[in-house]
Amino acid sequence: MEKIIECGNIVFSYNGTEVLKGIDFSVSPGEMVGILGANGAGKSTLLKILSGLLQPQSGETLYRNKELSKLSRKELSKRLAYIPQDPVFAFPFTVTETVLMGRAPYIGRFEFERERDLEIAERAMKTVGITPLKDRLISQVSAGERQLASLARALVQEPEIMILDEPATFLDVRHRTEIMKILIKLKEERGISIVAATHDIFAALYYFEEIKILKDGIIFAEGKTETVVTEDILSSAYGIKVTVKKDNGRVFVFPSD
Amino acid sequence: MNARKKFHISIAFLSVLWLVIALISIFTGTYEIGPIDAILNPDELSKTIFLNIRIPRVLMATIAGGTLALSGAALQALFRNPLASPFTLGISGGASLGALIAIRLGLGIGILGFSMVSISAFIFSILTMLFVYSVSKVGGVVATGRLLLAGVVANFLYSAIVMFIQFFSNFTESLQTMRWIMGSLDIVGFDTVWKTLIFAVPGCLILLVSTKEMNLFGLGDDVAASLGVNVRRLEKRIYFGTSLAAGSVISVTGPIGFVGLIIPHILRMTLGVDNRIILPCSFLLGASFLTAADTVSRTVISPVEIPVGIITAALGGVFFLWLLIKTKKEVII
Repeated sequence: MEKIIECGNIVFSYNGTEVLKGIDFSVSPGEMVGILGANGAGKSTLLKILSGLLQPQSGETLYRNKELSKLSRKELSKRLAYIPQDPVFAFPFTVTETVLMGRAPYIGRFEFERERDLEIAERAMKTVGITPLKDRLISQVSAGERQLASLARALVQEPEIMILDEPATFLDVRHRTEIMKILIKLKEERGISIVAATHDIFAALYYFEEIKILKDGIIFAEGKTETVVTEDILSSAYGIKVTVKKDNGRVFVFPSD
Repeated sequence: MNARKKFHISIAFLSVLWLVIALISIFTGTYEIGPIDAILNPDELSKTIFLNIRIPRVLMATIAGGTLALSGAALQALFRNPLASPFTLGISGGASLGALIAIRLGLGIGILGFSMVSISAFIFSILTMLFVYSVSKVGGVVATGRLLLAGVVANFLYSAIVMFIQFFSNFTESLQTMRWIMGSLDIVGFDTVWKTLIFAVPGCLILLVSTKEMNLFGLGDDVAASLGVNVRRLEKRIYFGTSLAAGSVISVTGPIGFVGLIIPHILRMTLGVDNRIILPCSFLLGASFLTAADTVSRTVISPVEIPVGIITAALGGVFFLWLLIKTKKEVII
């Protein structure tokens, strides 16, 4: 099957420090991939390269067999949506206006949104459950609701793949669960591929079928969740001794000491 | 109301507002000319006053006010900060120093009809913007504290140098500089209007075609880029556009304060923050505001003219004081 994104031997350094040291990575249509790893392991950098936001110093990134850097930004933005860890909202747009910005790739320089764009935005807000907030200012809703608005914004881009950088890190358990459930729904109902970095090992184990663990700029372990999540691998990836317990088909991870 | 409708209604309303104010301004002044006399049987003096003084002056106020407000709104988008403006960023201060240096050095002859005072002011305003932008940007993001501090520092530094040079100036140079620093629309004939337009029009157009991208830019560099914006190119475009637009106006009129700050602010309070609406509306409201302020400045203690910069700065000060008191409970800045 044709991969959506496929990259090989990616090397990237910031100011002379090598962050990624040769990464091979691929995402198939409808796949849900979780990326784990300690702080500074290179997760965000990898996601930005996959999204075409950073150019690696060497290595090749293909988007549907075409070189990613050769695709126009606008073309790519109709297929790939990116959600950062801590989104910026510099001006107090309303929630609806914020979501509508995801339609930008479909709207000309001198055009305003049409009725159809508004319908798409309203549907997206319904999907993520923020319809009651639609007239509120983005600056006046909670962090969790802002992240849901970002998700809706990504959704109206009508992407085939979503790349999320720790989408749930700052959120409480309810919003975290909501976001994960929405992602599962998008994957199952619309076949959208999901790539997400996360610090939440439980969520990763529970929701993702494929896990990749980054350590020191390389993919340290990858594969189906059950095979990757072992005491040895996690202890080594995070530099702290952990215990993995299985109970009723659910997996629990906690520090040993 | 959707954005398109809001756009059309506000543009129509503000255009009419400007037209009314401009007409009132043309027929108001020390020398009284009624509208009917002026059109039906104008004498030589009225004709001269109309064509050489009133109309050019109203046009100059329109261009200056509109351009400053539009540039302010664009700078606020670029810095992702509602406190950015030619005045707070020290750009006006830079222009003042540039003008003073040219006056002091007695650089009389200009290039292509532009006076050296204007050219020097223009160069200094662009250099200041570059300085403030590079100093306030940390890790790709403009830090509000650094931004305001850099602007304040630039302003202090410039005013120190200005005062130092003033101290050693003779009376004529000193007066000339003071008048320049106060900001004024005191022009005669259309010559200055055309010269300003040459730069202000392309500057404003560059900014007006970028409004949609400015909205996306407010979501941060990465999200903007992921939505199809070439972020670095957009930044350069806003830079270039505001330098051209605001620089060309300030170099002619001197620093007219607060227009670039108040006007977009008032509009955002009533129309929301969509730059596609705020930028063009800023031009129209800024034009109306400065035309009105200028009319007041030349009639309030007629026949003496108060430099319009004093009026706008005073109004701006009061306005912000009011804003601070009113918003004490809700943190907006």
